[in-house]
Amino acid sequence: MTKKIRLDRRDFLIGSAAAGAMIAAPTIVRAASKELRVLAWEGYAEPEWVEAFKKETGAEVKIVYVGSADEMFAKMQGSQGADFDVVSFDTSIFSRYLDANLLAPLDLSKIANAGNIAPEFREVKEVMRADKQFGVPFAWGSLPMVYDADAFSTPPDSWDVMWNPEYGQQLICMDDANNCITWGALVVGVDNPYNLSDDDFARVKEKLIEQKKLLLSYFAGFDEGVNMFAQNSIKVMYSMGEPQVPALKNKGINAALTIPKEGAPGWLDCWTMSAGATDPDLAHQWINTCLAASVGEILTNKAGYGNTTNTDVNKAAGFTYGDKLSWLQQAENYEKRVAVWNEVKAG
Amino acid sequence: MPRTGPRWLIFAAVAALPALVILVPLGSFLAMSLAHAEKHQIIYDWTLRNYASFLGNWTYLSTFLGTLWLCLEVVLLSLIVGYPIAWYIWRQKSWKRYALLQIAALPLFMSYIVKLYTLRSMLGLNGLVNQALVSLGILEQPSQVFLYNQRAVLITMTVIYLPYVVLPIFLSLERIPRSLLHASTDLGAGGWDTFRRVVLPLSVPGTIAGALFAFVLALGDFITPQMVGGTTGFTIGRVIFSQFGLAFDWPFGAAMAAILLLVALLLIVTAGYAASRRRV
Repeated sequence: MTKKIRLDRRDFLIGSAAAGAMIAAPTIVRAASKELRVLAWEGYAEPEWVEAFKKETGAEVKIVYVGSADEMFAKMQGSQGADFDVVSFDTSIFSRYLDANLLAPLDLSKIANAGNIAPEFREVKEVMRADKQFGVPFAWGSLPMVYDADAFSTPPDSWDVMWNPEYGQQLICMDDANNCITWGALVVGVDNPYNLSDDDFARVKEKLIEQKKLLLSYFAGFDEGVNMFAQNSIKVMYSMGEPQVPALKNKGINAALTIPKEGAPGWLDCWTMSAGATDPDLAHQWINTCLAASVGEILTNKAGYGNTTNTDVNKAAGFTYGDKLSWLQQAENYEKRVAVWNEVKAG
Repeated sequence: MPRTGPRWLIFAAVAALPALVILVPLGSFLAMSLAHAEKHQIIYDWTLRNYASFLGNWTYLSTFLGTLWLCLEVVLLSLIVGYPIAWYIWRQKSWKRYALLQIAALPLFMSYIVKLYTLRSMLGLNGLVNQALVSLGILEQPSQVFLYNQRAVLITMTVIYLPYVVLPIFLSLERIPRSLLHASTDLGAGGWDTFRRVVLPLSVPGTIAGALFAFVLALGDFITPQMVGGTTGFTIGRVIFSQFGLAFDWPFGAAMAAILLLVALLLIVTAGYAASRRRV
């Protein structure tokens, strides 16, 4: 015999209220203490400075890492910024965030360490809108040429080396529509590689199709590029970034990087404050912590990115070519870039 | 006699989950294919222009046709390799047969990505294939012809999809009554005649099923071409994939995926019809 459990409406309501309170309890408790919600790339919230920040402010830190710029934007747009307090992304997509009203302006007077920022990163126009500053530069890097130093007595000084049939099937290139079109535009010498005319697109496409014939393959990810380079006696690649060089050295390849005379794309990541930040003072404190010279040192020596605050460390690590880079900007038309890149790959 | 009411309810309960996890997503992406994207917003205006722009774009259309051709090659190669394997397993006695069958199915328990990486290292310049060919004296030095081209895509897809071809062929062979084989022998047919006139025709349904598996899987595969195809491994799967990141043209990607689905469906229906006519 089974006993039937009957629930009337009142029991149900009381029960649900109790259950609801139990579920909400941790949130209520947590809301009383301070919490900072970080949305960033891996390497931008390392224990070395997160622990110091926690101790200093007594706040908890909740970090969410993402794998792509699109994912990051989607997370911010999904909550209109309410899910995060501080976010880091690169200057080329600032206008997308600003247009969607996802950022709050910063008060530099609350960021004492802003004085540490090196002169070349102080006047970045992309982070400004209507005289308000929405971001502070934190980390930078490039999409350089990486080459096998055993094959070249002096570093190649021009991207032309990747159009040289002598190195046919010993070249690889990343598979990325925007970065490859920008690269092609730099090589053919377009004035503004982020604002191409139809004519420019045609020239870039032709140039890239010509180059494709000499490529062994495109690579889709960071490690993929390293493995492909190491396994196939590759001589030169259009690289995804500086950290590929130490990764190749770990595999016994005498790899080195250079920025050829045509230039190379560079990216500059900034810390920003979300429009939905619950505790703006805490967010400012976080940005201040990140701009300490000691953090810049860890960022460069551990993650392998250039920093914006510690010039000596940058110099020692070889990050001396910021002036040769073409800083990525919002491009004229991303759909068009993807279409042209598809035509290159199908051509 | 069972009443129809409860039976309907049971059917609805059983069908609800598949409907939810298959039909709803399918419907949503078909709806997506009739929308258009503007400034990172998707606007549902029920237009066919995504389909029109696909059919009007020779780059994408020729990539699509090239992909279909590649899939046919995969089917052909996997049948040439897979049928004899299935037949050989079927000819074995008792435990040996099932042990071999297990081995043939073993790759299905491995991750697809792991298989891809394994094959890539085998086909590479310093890989197993080159080492074997050099040590056998067939090649003088390691060759790059096995990796980063269309041939590599063909070989890799065939190896990866082989179990999907072998298993259905084996099943259709196993369904052939032994009495038919005995009768064929009693009537004086030799081994070859029995195979040609009894075994082969009766195994057609399984062969068609295997071919379909290989075709449909190859058609939707956008990772193998990227991993081993080099600069010539550009397939329609890559084109569709490219619409979902930076381009943010989900409706166009959905339209191309819908066309892919349509072609696969058409093939399944045609093949199913052919197979059912073959059934004895």
